[in-house]
Amino acid sequence: MTSPSAARLPEERRQPLFSGVEWITLALVAMSFAIPLLVTNPQVLSQTNLILIGATAALGVFIMLRMDLMSFAVPCFMALGGYTVAILGIQLGITDVILLGIAAFLVPAICAIPLGALILRLKGVYFVLVTFVLTEIVQLLLFEGEPLTGGANGLVGMPAVTFFGVELFSNAQVVLTTCGLALVGFLVTAIFTRRFRYEFAAIEKNDVLAESLGLAGWKYKAIAFSVSAGVSGLAGFAIVNVLMTAHPSSFASMSSVNYITYTIVGGKGQILGPLVGAGLLVSATDYFALRGEFSPGLFGLLIIVVTLVAGGGLVGLATNLLRRRERKAGVAVKELSRVEARS
Amino acid sequence: MSTSTHTQGAALHVQSISKAFGGLKVFDDVSFVVPAGGLVGVIGPNGAGKTTMINIISGRLRASSGQVLLGDTRVDGRPVYTNCAGGLVRSFQQTATFSGYTVEDNLISACRFSGGNRSVLERLAPLLAQFGLIENWHRNADVLPYGLQKMLGLTLALATQPRMLLLDEPAAGLEKNERSNIDAYVRFAQQELGCGVLLVEHDMDLVKRLCPYVIVLDGGRLIAEGAPAEVLARKDVIDAYLGGSDEEDDDAQHS
Repeated sequence: MTSPSAARLPEERRQPLFSGVEWITLALVAMSFAIPLLVTNPQVLSQTNLILIGATAALGVFIMLRMDLMSFAVPCFMALGGYTVAILGIQLGITDVILLGIAAFLVPAICAIPLGALILRLKGVYFVLVTFVLTEIVQLLLFEGEPLTGGANGLVGMPAVTFFGVELFSNAQVVLTTCGLALVGFLVTAIFTRRFRYEFAAIEKNDVLAESLGLAGWKYKAIAFSVSAGVSGLAGFAIVNVLMTAHPSSFASMSSVNYITYTIVGGKGQILGPLVGAGLLVSATDYFALRGEFSPGLFGLLIIVVTLVAGGGLVGLATNLLRRRERKAGVAVKELSRVEARS
Repeated sequence: MSTSTHTQGAALHVQSISKAFGGLKVFDDVSFVVPAGGLVGVIGPNGAGKTTMINIISGRLRASSGQVLLGDTRVDGRPVYTNCAGGLVRSFQQTATFSGYTVEDNLISACRFSGGNRSVLERLAPLLAQFGLIENWHRNADVLPYGLQKMLGLTLALATQPRMLLLDEPAAGLEKNERSNIDAYVRFAQQELGCGVLLVEHDMDLVKRLCPYVIVLDGGRLIAEGAPAEVLARKDVIDAYLGGSDEEDDDAQHS
C-alpha cells in the first residue's frame, strides 16, 4: 500500500473531443462529396442520396440511444423539417440552402422542447410507444392540414435551392446538397455526443446515481431530444430537396423502423454505426430488389439476429476484434521485451 | 462552487418528519439534528425506515409532513441534484458505480456533475490510495471486487465536495478486514473536508467506534438517542434491535 502522504494520482490523460472513430466517420461523409463530381451514373447518385439521408435520419435514433431511449419519432421531426423547407421554398420563395438548413434544424428542434417535456419522463417501452404514436399523429396532421400541407397531394414544385446565388438543380448538385446536409448532421451529432459523453453515459448506466451526484438528468434528455429532432429535420430537408416534393409518405411511421435498424445493425455505440448500417442496408435493399413492403419484416429479423449475435452491431464487432488483436499484439510485445531483458 | 461554502459546514435539522405510503405509516414524527461537521449514527432493525429516511432527506421521496433544513435552507422535496449542488449528498446501500467505466472515468463523472475539477480528486488521493483504487485506476469498475466497488461508490459521493453526507449502510457486504476503510472514509470526510455525516449502519462495532451520538429507529419512530454505549444498553433498544424472543436469536446466528 502506498503511504498516504506520497499518494499521487496517475497522470491525467489528454482526452480530445473527437476520437479516431469520429474522424473516420466525418472523413467518410466528407468523401461523399467526391461521388457526384466523379460519377454520372444516375443509379449511383440516387443510392448516394438514399444512403446519406438514411444515415442522417439514423443519427436522430443514435442520439437518443445515448441515453438508452429508443425513439420512433424521427420521421415526425423529418416531416417538420421537410415541410418547413417546402413551405418556405414554395410559398415564400426562400431558396438559400443555408437559411433553409437553419430553418429545417431549428423548427423541429424548437417543437421538440414542449414535446420532450411531455414524453421524456417515460422510459423503455413506454417511450417507444409514445414516440411511435407521435409519428402517427403527425401523419394524420399532414393529411388533414390541407391548407398548409397540401393534404394527400403534399406540397409539389419545390424550387431548386441556391448556394450563394448558384442554383443547385442538376442531379449531381442535388446530391451535393444532400452531402452537405449529411455532413452538418454528422458534425453536430459528433460534437454534441462527444461534448456531453459523460453525462449521457451516466444517464444510460445509472440515472439514480447520476442525479445523486448532482446531474440534472432531465436537462440533458431535453437538449438531446431537441438536437435529435434538429438533425432529423436536416434529413427531412434532404428528402424534400431530392423529390422536389413534401409528401406524407416520405415520413411514414414505418420508416422509423428502417432508421432504428440502420443504427442497431451498424452499431449503436459509435457514430460510425448509423453510417455503416445505412450504407449496407440501403445497398442490400437495392441489391435484393426488395420492394418496401418486405423491408420492415426483414429488418426486424436482422435486428433480432444482430442483437443476439453482436450486441454492438457491425462497428462494435469490428472494434472488439481490433481490440482483441491489439491485446494479443500487446502481450506478444511484452513477451518479447521479457525475452530481450533476459538475454 | 467556491470552496468557502464547502469548508463552512451546515447543520442538518430534521423536524418532525412523517411519511405514509397510503395507509401505511413508515415514518412518524421523527426529529433530530446533525451538527455542522458532526457525526450521528442511525441504527434500527430491518424495516425501521432507515433507507426511507435517507430517501426523504436527500429529496428522492417527499415527506408527508415535517421539514428538513440544511443550514437555513429547506431541502426536503427539492430535486436530488439540487440538494447535491447544495452539498447534501447520499451514498447507496448497494454498490453504485457507472459500469463499463474505469475508476478514473467514474470519479471524473462525479466531479463533472457536481461542478468540480481534478483538484478535488487530488485532494482525495490519500484516501484513493488507501482503498487501492489508484492501483486500479484504469480498470473497469464492474470487474473490481465487491469491496472496491463499494468504496468507489462511496468515494464518488466525496468527489462532489459534500457538506453533509448521508451514508446508507456503507459497511454492508464488506469483509471484516475491509471495514476499517469505512473508518478512514468517515474520518477523512469529517476532518479533511469538514463534512457532517449521518451514518446508517448495522455494524454495531463500527457505530460504537465512530459515532459519539446515535439515534435508534424502530417501526418508523425514534425510540432512543444518546451516546452509543448508553443507548445500546437500554432494554427497549435491545428488544427492538435484537428481537425479544430466543428463537429469532437462533435464526440470526445461523444466517
